[in-house]
Amino acid sequence: MKRIQTEILVIGGGATGTGVAWDAALRGFQTVLVEKRDLTHGTTGRYHGLLHSGARYVLKDADSAVECIRENRILRRTHAHCIEDTGGFFIVTPEDEDDYPDRFAAACRRLDIPCDEIPASTALRREPLLNPGVSRVFELPDAAADSFLAAHATAQAARQAGALLLPYHELTGLHLSGGDGNRAVSAAAVLDTVTGEELRIDADLVINAAGAWCGQVAALAGVEVNMILGKGVMLATNARLTNTVINRCKMPGDGDILVPIHTVSVIGTTDQQVSDPENLSIEQWEIDLMLTEGDKLVPGLSRSRILRAWAGVRPLYHEPPSSHESIHRPAPHPDRRASRLEAKPASPASRDATRALALLDHRQRDGLSGFITITGGKWTTFRLMAESAVDAACAQLGVSRPCHTAETPVPGVEQGHYWLGHRLDEVESENRQSELICECELVTRSMLEGAAQRNPTVTLDDLRRDVRLGMGPCQGGFCTYRAVGVLHQLRSDETATDAADWKVAHMQSPAHHHRDGGPPADGGPAEPAPAAQPEPRRPSPAIDPAAAVSQPNLLLRDFLQERWKGVVPILWGDQLRQERLDELIYLSILNADHLPADERQSPLSEFYRSGFSYPGSRLT
Amino acid sequence: MTDLLIIGAGLTGLFAACTAARAGLNVRVIAQGAGTTHWHAGTIDLLGYLPDGRQPVANWMQALGRLPPAHPYRLLGAASIANALDAFQQLAAAAGLPYERVAATIDPHRPSAPPQPTDREDDSRGHFTDIAPGRNGQLISPVGAGRPVFLAPQAQLAASLEDERPFLIIGFNGMTDFYPALIAENLRRQGRAARSAMLPLSRLTSRHDHNTIQLARLLDQPAAQEKLIEMVSDTAATGERIGLPAVLGLKTHTRLLAKLHQACSARDRRNTLPGPALQSPLSLFEIPTLPPSVPGMRLDASLRAQLTRLRVRVEIGMKVCGVRAAGRRIEWIETETGSRPLRHTARNYLLATGGILGGGIRGDRCGRVRETVFDLPLTAPQTRSQWLRPLFLDKRGHPVFQGGVPVDTRFRPLGRDGAPVYDNLWAAGSVLAHTDPIRERSREGIAISTGFAAAHSVAKGQ
Repeated sequence: MKRIQTEILVIGGGATGTGVAWDAALRGFQTVLVEKRDLTHGTTGRYHGLLHSGARYVLKDADSAVECIRENRILRRTHAHCIEDTGGFFIVTPEDEDDYPDRFAAACRRLDIPCDEIPASTALRREPLLNPGVSRVFELPDAAADSFLAAHATAQAARQAGALLLPYHELTGLHLSGGDGNRAVSAAAVLDTVTGEELRIDADLVINAAGAWCGQVAALAGVEVNMILGKGVMLATNARLTNTVINRCKMPGDGDILVPIHTVSVIGTTDQQVSDPENLSIEQWEIDLMLTEGDKLVPGLSRSRILRAWAGVRPLYHEPPSSHESIHRPAPHPDRRASRLEAKPASPASRDATRALALLDHRQRDGLSGFITITGGKWTTFRLMAESAVDAACAQLGVSRPCHTAETPVPGVEQGHYWLGHRLDEVESENRQSELICECELVTRSMLEGAAQRNPTVTLDDLRRDVRLGMGPCQGGFCTYRAVGVLHQLRSDETATDAADWKVAHMQSPAHHHRDGGPPADGGPAEPAPAAQPEPRRPSPAIDPAAAVSQPNLLLRDFLQERWKGVVPILWGDQLRQERLDELIYLSILNADHLPADERQSPLSEFYRSGFSYPGSRLT
Repeated sequence: MTDLLIIGAGLTGLFAACTAARAGLNVRVIAQGAGTTHWHAGTIDLLGYLPDGRQPVANWMQALGRLPPAHPYRLLGAASIANALDAFQQLAAAAGLPYERVAATIDPHRPSAPPQPTDREDDSRGHFTDIAPGRNGQLISPVGAGRPVFLAPQAQLAASLEDERPFLIIGFNGMTDFYPALIAENLRRQGRAARSAMLPLSRLTSRHDHNTIQLARLLDQPAAQEKLIEMVSDTAATGERIGLPAVLGLKTHTRLLAKLHQACSARDRRNTLPGPALQSPLSLFEIPTLPPSVPGMRLDASLRAQLTRLRVRVEIGMKVCGVRAAGRRIEWIETETGSRPLRHTARNYLLATGGILGGGIRGDRCGRVRETVFDLPLTAPQTRSQWLRPLFLDKRGHPVFQGGVPVDTRFRPLGRDGAPVYDNLWAAGSVLAHTDPIRERSREGIAISTGFAAAHSVAKGQ
């Protein structure tokens, strides 16, 4: 069995886990991260993309609100290119209660969250599709965040600082050493889900950053962490309905946020408590509720073309009252201290559970050293969560090393915020020609090849998260076949892969490729670099993407099924017709349901298959 | 007065129009758009798979009994379907786009050597007489799977998987819709000898990004054709069958194929066959591509040309917005214009608007599935939870795509009481119930056979 020795082992490759790896590596710890699937496969890749100003929680969860506004300001520097500064409106519709807006504005002032009331007419001029019945509008520093790109950028920063990131490595067990009184987690058993190889990682300290899976990971160490899993359903429309984040100015509820993100608007969310973070069903009533509530923000939203529905799980933590004291929080803001005095009653309802981060130091809580759980929180506070987790790690390891993440921009910040037009702009300004593989999201062949060469690619879904393949109106109808062909060609031409060589800066555009070497000093025209030229190779980590990618038929089937999973709940009208066109392509023309090696499975085939039950599922 | 007003200009509507016009009826075709022929592979698929089948249907005539009793093919019977196909083959040949049996093209008992020429043409036909009627052949899909096909245009025939000659699949660098290495690998997995090659598109054109239609237009030009012939004949080895993406011209592809065949044959010392080419089996073939489909466009253009000769008007851009029925007769229909509705009156109406893909059927958010012109009763499930299965590639198909307009044996739409709704309304093609043409790979067979039968039903009544 292969063995790896490290100081800190991070479990989970979402925003929090990559953040922890980044923070720990920056502080000079030897760091390894394991993630059972691709990075951002969990909640990070399944949320609405809102960078909170904190205003949403001012009256309900002041701890969380204060964390949000502080991190909001930091992430705009450290992850500038992942954030589109849309601004946010909190609108008072005719249905919303009267005294909430004033209490809301007062609370924002108290917590130092910039909140300006603007005339409704001004808001309507800026967002013409907004509900014309709005009576009051508050403007706040909400923004739209690309959580895929942010996690990849954080991961790259972690790698640059020396961390080893292992996606498709599933934690199967934790080794405990010592007897009563000095029990400690000393090592982890890990399974490479692509090659089936087992791996032992000896670590001084294990940080559990597995999000919704935190309870399962803690159970492997024999400690109980009761997660409250709040499932949220979101829908994406086929165009941006607004350019500003729209919130209802009321107590947080279902379907009251509309976030413009890249080419779409996302309406969210519901909140249903679930027990299993994997098998999430989407119910028809949830879709209907989103559309009905969405109509109150932007009338007519329910008649727009819905591209996709998905569900994510909030990893909320609510400590049982008896052990309340063992929750540790970083240096509290004075206001926050005040707010904590208004102790919330212990309630299992996920809508009411705090969104503030929860740090569980199991040495103090359970007498188990070498193990820390960081959970709760929001995407917006992932950096703070990482900071507090690594602070606790320092304390356990008996060292004092300050955190640097708040002042350290991640790679790619210099590019500025990416939007769809950049791709066209770069094609024009640098005469960079490459064939278009995905017309909806303007993904070119060289972008696809670059992403596949530089990142571990086990499924096309991994590429989707890198370059937005298949995320547009046709939902993979044309690009699935093309991407399979391009990857197959690429893998046939080369035997080795560059899995170790993550280059997130290159993911978004072919033009970024040669910029990596540093732009010409005079800013003059850069010399055109050959598209998708492979980077110098480094030895690959345990993952062997070629193993899965060399199965083109499997890539094709998996991605078709993955896309299907997200469109079934919203298929009607034109989108239903679009799927019939996809059937024409994949059945009638390609005969993709009768390809050789019909029985092959990827590590994710089963997930795409069973991870979903569509509205009122009665068909099998 | 118009005897038959056909709504829909897909394969069903156009072929029904030809049939009715040749039977002496005064016919008009109106349609909202061009139909889905442009998206399909340009082959005539009769019945490729049964709902329970992993294996392709070897002989569609023998498989009819295993279809549901109300399936359009069961209403027709094998003989009527065969008649319709004969009529289609005659029409296509007259239009200069001959379609032939895929299974009959190659004798499976013949040794795998390249085809030897014979002096007597009859002899070569003699090989084929024992091919069972209704036997499907298999052509190659753009991902290298076998496609069960009954009739194919000449340009696709040499792809037959029954033929054991090795494959050379040629593609173009810079073309996004065709991946020869992938096709060749999947052919090898199925036990065929196959290799692939890429030609530089830059030798044909200075443009960077080409779709299939642009390439086809380019290859209608003699200069590009000459370069292509040179490149292909330099690449091919003796005895190989050469597969190219279906982009060999929209108008002159038969001539280009003949020239390519000749050029490759001339290099092949063992092949003593002198020109003229286009004598089956060709050594070259086209593989259909993603939509838009060049072979589909050729088929559409041929049918339109025949209709022009038959003096049948085909008007596109006509969306039906109103219908008047009196008792058991449709009196008129109206289509949208910029100012006021345009009224069309005819003795008979044929609904050939297609299924959900064609726009003849539409499902809404509340789970209602409606026929879009006459709001006819449908067999489709009227609850969204009953529409779709959890697996996209489920071989049983998705119920929402299987619903449609139920008809009697004369192809008149039926009401809930089981009796025809109107005496002068007929329906054909993908709008029909009890079939899933895309899942069954029966789309063209359904279009041709039901369009033919409905047109004859109308003609008989006149």
